[in-house]
Amino acid sequence: MLPAGAWQGIEMIRDLYRVWGLWRARGGWLLIGVAVAVASALSAVALLALAGQGVAQGVALGGGALAILLLRPLMLARPALRWAERMASHEATFRALADTRVWFFRQIAARMPGGLGLTGTGDARGRMVADIEALDGLYLRAVLPALAAASVVAVVALLLGAEPGLAALVAVPLGAALLLPFWLARDASRAANAVAAARGQMNRAALDPLLGLAETLSNQAEHRAAARLAETTAAMHEQERLLARRGAIGGASGFLLGQMAMLGALGWALAHGPGSGLAVLGLFMALAAAETLGLVPRAGTALAAAGAAARRLFALADTQPRVTEPTAPAAMPPGNTLRFEAVGFAWSADRPVFTALDLEWREGERLALLGPSGAGKSSIAAMVLKLAAPQAGRITLGGVDLASLPAESVRARIACLSQDARIFDASIAENLRIAAPEAPDAALWRVLAQVGLDELVRALPEALNTPCGEGGARFSGGQARRIALARALLPATPLLVLDEPTTGLDAETEQAFLETLEVATRGRSVLLITHKLVGVEKPDRVLRLAMGRALPAAG
Amino acid sequence: MGKAKPEASAPVTGKSVLAAETRRLGRSALLPIALGYGVALCGLAQAWLLARLVAGLLGYPVGGWLDLAGAAALMAAAAGLTALQEIAQSAAGRAARAHLRGVAFGRLLALGPADQRAAGEKATLVVERIEALDGYFSKWMPAAALALAVPCTIILVLLFVDWVSASVLLVMGMLVPIGMAVAGIGAAMASKRQFEALGKLSGRFTDRVRGIPTLVLFNRAGAEADGLARAAEELRARTMKVLRIAFLSSGILELLSAFTLAYLAWRHGALLGNNHPNPVAALWCILLVPAFFQPLRMFSGAYHEAQSARGAATELAPLLAPAPASTGLDLAEVPPRVAVVFSEVVLRYTADRAPALDGLTFSAAAGETLLLAGASGSGKSSALALLLGFRRATGGRVAINGQDVALLKPEELRRISAYIGQKPHIFGGSIFDNIRLAQPEADREAVTAAAQAAQVMQFAADLPQGLDTLVGEGGFGLSGGQAQRVALARAFLRDAPLVLMDEPTASLDPGTEELVLDAIRKLCLGRTAIIATHSAAALRGLPGRVLTLEAGRAAGRRMAGN
Repeated sequence: MLPAGAWQGIEMIRDLYRVWGLWRARGGWLLIGVAVAVASALSAVALLALAGQGVAQGVALGGGALAILLLRPLMLARPALRWAERMASHEATFRALADTRVWFFRQIAARMPGGLGLTGTGDARGRMVADIEALDGLYLRAVLPALAAASVVAVVALLLGAEPGLAALVAVPLGAALLLPFWLARDASRAANAVAAARGQMNRAALDPLLGLAETLSNQAEHRAAARLAETTAAMHEQERLLARRGAIGGASGFLLGQMAMLGALGWALAHGPGSGLAVLGLFMALAAAETLGLVPRAGTALAAAGAAARRLFALADTQPRVTEPTAPAAMPPGNTLRFEAVGFAWSADRPVFTALDLEWREGERLALLGPSGAGKSSIAAMVLKLAAPQAGRITLGGVDLASLPAESVRARIACLSQDARIFDASIAENLRIAAPEAPDAALWRVLAQVGLDELVRALPEALNTPCGEGGARFSGGQARRIALARALLPATPLLVLDEPTTGLDAETEQAFLETLEVATRGRSVLLITHKLVGVEKPDRVLRLAMGRALPAAG
Repeated sequence: MGKAKPEASAPVTGKSVLAAETRRLGRSALLPIALGYGVALCGLAQAWLLARLVAGLLGYPVGGWLDLAGAAALMAAAAGLTALQEIAQSAAGRAARAHLRGVAFGRLLALGPADQRAAGEKATLVVERIEALDGYFSKWMPAAALALAVPCTIILVLLFVDWVSASVLLVMGMLVPIGMAVAGIGAAMASKRQFEALGKLSGRFTDRVRGIPTLVLFNRAGAEADGLARAAEELRARTMKVLRIAFLSSGILELLSAFTLAYLAWRHGALLGNNHPNPVAALWCILLVPAFFQPLRMFSGAYHEAQSARGAATELAPLLAPAPASTGLDLAEVPPRVAVVFSEVVLRYTADRAPALDGLTFSAAAGETLLLAGASGSGKSSALALLLGFRRATGGRVAINGQDVALLKPEELRRISAYIGQKPHIFGGSIFDNIRLAQPEADREAVTAAAQAAQVMQFAADLPQGLDTLVGEGGFGLSGGQAQRVALARAFLRDAPLVLMDEPTASLDPGTEELVLDAIRKLCLGRTAIIATHSAAALRGLPGRVLTLEAGRAAGRRMAGN
């Protein structure tokens, strides 16, 4: 039978092979690291072996041996090689890891453009940072020590080849120590998975109460939050304990095997009587190899941790995108009329939003879309912007099926203020320029004036360069929303989707903004999604969403 | 900023935090050291047996199968002790992390919104920074103790055998810390910079991942990925600077170790050729060279773990310092009715910004509903923050039932009230759990009743698992209006005499707003309520007095409904 562990082992090897694929671009650096590591390990063996040989020769020849002379250059080469090994291997790892980070971000952006949803950002952050860091174990603590140790065992076997019995006694335990990680990794992989999962839980238990700090405190839940964190920490530590025990047993086994090689050489010599220089060489080589091989059993733990991290990273990165890009994209149409034709849509199969929605948003039209929360207003925005695709019917832009147009081109034509528009932990200018990287300061001031923020920003000591804080924390909710609104107004796109643009604004600001909307968006198609009209919007047409249909509303 | 007062009399540094935790660990910190010393003693004895065996191989009349058996027995003992040591030292690391994480997290909660750092940054402190302390307790401490004890033991033993070899080892051993200190000074400075870079990258990454929808909408995800690549590259450059020096210190160690070995091999090799008086001792000296440098090598390996741990500890020190004794009184019991009086209250967040509250005076009688109106930034939220104990007034007096709230502990003050914020946070878990946050002992019936009262059932009934439907961090699947109703349900369940609300209907459509206003009216019945709102419908639809704020003070009064 194929035990579950073996199957996991195969999966792990597949995942790790994929990691190698991601790192291939850094192959040069990675190979340099391996070469220097092998040279460094061999120099350590040579150093001790020559010292032993020197003593033996000293006895045989009566002092002044060749081996001792050879020691001098090695004495300097060994530390230099050791330093170079560590520098080269870390350089390689950091480069490879940066690639992984960016690759992962791109994957999520491409496959989950609507956000991470239920997975939780705390968890994703934990995955990204901790898992990617765990991947450095793959190269630094698994691949490098294993290859260095393999080269040492090969050299030992080769040098002792003249006496096959001695070679076997020394090389077989050393070889076993070399294979130990592969035997351990299978088992440790499960433990490492458990640690990573427990760590994700702990991460969430820490972040969630901090994100909802006001709710936690006002409900006197601080002790419960602390207890929950202690509980998840204890669960993580229990898994870590199991992993540490495995690691300790692995380390002790490696130590034992190295010692057995050494004692084996001595036993062989005892059995063959005195005067065997080769046995002394064997003893000292085993002694030297033990140092290199001592790192190898731990490589199993590192391998397993990297495997678990890789599995979680790929699981997230392999999420099926909601909207697939067209294989043969059509040319962007000149027209800008958007039409929904019998569109059926559901976020999940058991909650249909639309079964057959017909809707037309004409070029240059200011269309207001009304409806209670949950009526599907934001779903329409998501489909227009290709964050979601209809499951039935079709949407056309200028007469061309939206499904056949590349998402980037569509989004370049349609600016959007979404409900969850995020203000980043960057300056006001940087936040605005997300919408139009080349926009001059004058353009920034113009849109800030349109949302009534110019005076406030001008009064700030750093003006446009004022940092906004995470999620716009530096500003009040209404101010942050207005920055997001200004950002959506900045690019000169022919179409503009405003999803509840005035949420969180006080009545006066809301009124003032909506009054300027006509001027600010002149000549552009505007889709104003809102739950109520305050009376100053002056839309060309009003549609009301109800029961999955868009019906004309009395203006 | 809320950290105006000094935290403790003595300055708390990262170092003192680590030292205090070491003392707290006590015996569990000593156990790995004792076990490690046992391993070293086994090695010392075994090397002597090996020396006898090798001398035998070289033709001297010593060494035999009995020595080999002894060496094998010592090997087994050392292996067992090694495993135990590793288990014990990882246990010490876990014990320290568990304790310190609890302390830091408790402190962050106690500081509350007064600590204006972003949630992600605080979480990084509690998660990653605490993890970074592990190496100090699980690796560096035992390594540091053994790096002193084991070489000293070896030198002492060898003094009786060959004083020249012992002296060579002594000199070399003393050169090791000097070499590492020279390298270490640079490493400490570089380590601080590396931590800044790491924190920046991690924070930036979280921020951008959370904003992926926004970045995608503006076609900026690719550009942002490039930005992250540049940040990662910067981190690599900084980290390599740290490591270049950290690795240099281990290079020095290798050099000394190699030199010692070569010197002793030369010395004893020559002696052996000329009828060495004590061949076993000579070989013992050579065989002990790796054993002598092994603990120093471990120490060097753990050295930069200690550096990173100290860096992390310095960042954590303000949180891990002994907490100032919680000043203020406990609340004997929650009063059934609450009257609130603000007199000339001033609240200033930072010296360079205009005060958020600038002489605010008003009162709310027991059972009254007071609507705070005014433009955003006029001080509505700040007034609520004072009543929640998130802030302390800079001047003036806030009184509840005639008692100055500054006399109460903040957490005691919060027992009086229920609070609904502008954007209520929905915690990972079910809707049911989210409501029960307000009253953990509440049974299913009470939670369902609260959900009913707050109109949560209106949407929860259509969900596949009803109230048990899971909602993720940030409220996945719940619209702003739905989240608001969950928060309202919490307030119902909480059943507090004072209700504080910040824009409770801002994101609701007219139909839902009517339902919610209905629920709010019910909630306010028999309770004192202070509601910050700019919604015309709310101002119209809620009975009570309207107080308009302007630049942190009361602008004028009029009755609602006019």
